[in-house]
Amino acid sequence: MARSGSGLRDRYCIVGVGETEYSRWSGRTTLSMACEAIVTAAADAGIAVDEIDGLASHQATAGDSCGNAEVASALGIRTNMGVDILGGGNSIGQLVAQSIALIEAGYCETVAVWRSMNGRSGLRMGGGAATRGGEAPRPQPVAAAGRGQYQVPFGIRGAPTIYAFEAMSYLQRYGYNTLHMADLAVTQRFAATLNPKATRREAISIDDHQNSRWIAKPFRLLDCCQENDVAGALIVTSAERAADLAQPPVYIMGGSARASTHNPSWTWGRPDMTEGWGAFVRERSFSSAGIGPEDVDIVTMYDNFTTTPMMYLEAFGFCGEGEGGDFVGGGRIHLDGELPQNTNGGQLSEGYAHGIGYLIESARQLRGRTDDLCEGWRQGEHTYDRARGCRQALAREDRRRRARGEPVEHPSPPAVAFCAGGGGAQQGWTAVLRR
Amino acid sequence: MGSEMQGAVDYSLIALQPDPDSEGFWAAAREHRLVVRACAECGRRWYPPAPLCPRCRSFDLEWREAEGRGVIASYVVVAHSVLPAFRPAAPYVVALVELPDCANEDGEPVRLAGLLLDGEDAAGVGVAVEVAWEEAPDGAYTVPAWRALETPQGATVWRLDAELARSEATA
Repeated sequence: MARSGSGLRDRYCIVGVGETEYSRWSGRTTLSMACEAIVTAAADAGIAVDEIDGLASHQATAGDSCGNAEVASALGIRTNMGVDILGGGNSIGQLVAQSIALIEAGYCETVAVWRSMNGRSGLRMGGGAATRGGEAPRPQPVAAAGRGQYQVPFGIRGAPTIYAFEAMSYLQRYGYNTLHMADLAVTQRFAATLNPKATRREAISIDDHQNSRWIAKPFRLLDCCQENDVAGALIVTSAERAADLAQPPVYIMGGSARASTHNPSWTWGRPDMTEGWGAFVRERSFSSAGIGPEDVDIVTMYDNFTTTPMMYLEAFGFCGEGEGGDFVGGGRIHLDGELPQNTNGGQLSEGYAHGIGYLIESARQLRGRTDDLCEGWRQGEHTYDRARGCRQALAREDRRRRARGEPVEHPSPPAVAFCAGGGGAQQGWTAVLRR
Repeated sequence: MGSEMQGAVDYSLIALQPDPDSEGFWAAAREHRLVVRACAECGRRWYPPAPLCPRCRSFDLEWREAEGRGVIASYVVVAHSVLPAFRPAAPYVVALVELPDCANEDGEPVRLAGLLLDGEDAAGVGVAVEVAWEEAPDGAYTVPAWRALETPQGATVWRLDAELARSEATA
């Protein structure tokens, strides 16, 4: 494996991050939330909003958010380029890659990447009606068109029913069951108890998971990510500019953007329906960054459901084939474990923003400025004591010392984060970040 | 969860919109024939219908009639449906059925998702099934669904609930 990385390695940075409140009923337009997230991220970076000359965003379903032209006007900025793409969880890594391309090609200098969604109070995934007390609306016929022709008339609609086939197949193939899924849910929820902005902050037990209601077997309620309203934003610029800004730069080492599974496009028709795009981009992701899995301190693995990270951990080589279900147990993905995963609680607990939350959390972790219950988190002052509300992860060497019972006087934050987003076997992205 | 579906699916709450790539599939279903796309040039077979062969890129396609027997490759038991049409039927099973007589020579299978009319007790990976037909009101359209067959002796069937019970017993 090449260790030098691609020519773009470390030349671009995430310099600012920000988000709105996660809520179940924002009472706001997606435009209002988008602008708040971008203004917050610019302030975090220490740049003026006027310095943003590029915007990049996505909509999972056409019309589920506002577009870049509206956002530019509302912010009072003139952009050189606005990238509006259609896509869900497979999008945000692609937008980061496109931002790099726009800056590299000279179209822009500073790009705000954002996602804004009323995912609970507005257009819900799967098209469920938004409800807030009162009567449910009278059912209207649901259109079955395009790919929906082979799903809707057969009872498939909404992410749980779509991802259940590959999840069930994964359990069956490798002999796992829903207790392995519970391990992941419980561990990530623990991290969320230390995340003041998380949608779900109450600790849960294995029993809580097992007793939560079925949504679509093998998924119970506590296997499913949240539905919420939120907007998030990232500011991407060159490493040269990043050096003079307010936050320690987070370098983009490499990655892959919106990789797909080749034919059959019906992922369920693949001989092994659990093996998708991830294994295909493993080499590219690591070689572009010039590192291997053993160099990674923390990971984000797309947790639309508890089973997806198991498959992704295998696909990217953090564990062997068929080992993902065991790997997420035994404390290995805990904040102080072998490979902390989704340290914000993930989409299962922090909230669902189609993936931008992973990049925001990873940036804060790498800066050593994770927003937890430590009073001085903005200045990077952390106790590293989970019992006292600290969510800041340590670099892997420091974690190992601690695990051996050796003192760690000046703990370092993680150095490298490997982020994977997507959904399931069909499509996704990776981003390798470092401080 | 029981052995039969709770209630009937209300297909009037689904507005099927066939398109030029799919109309042959739905037309055959009306006649209770299960068809999948096949390439007239190279013989590749696939589902769902797509406008060209994903292997040789020929647009010269055929409909291949399947015998209508298959094996469940995976399944989901939907307890909470966002589809009003399916709420009366919940909890219901959607089976992903592999059609051995349509498989490609290189091992790439052809799989369709469809309702398992026998309910959860009959569901499992490896269960043999046979096509059945669900009719939408007023002859609007016909949907292929599945009935479980007796599982042949020696066949391995994996059921999620059995797996759970086994792990709890050893815990």
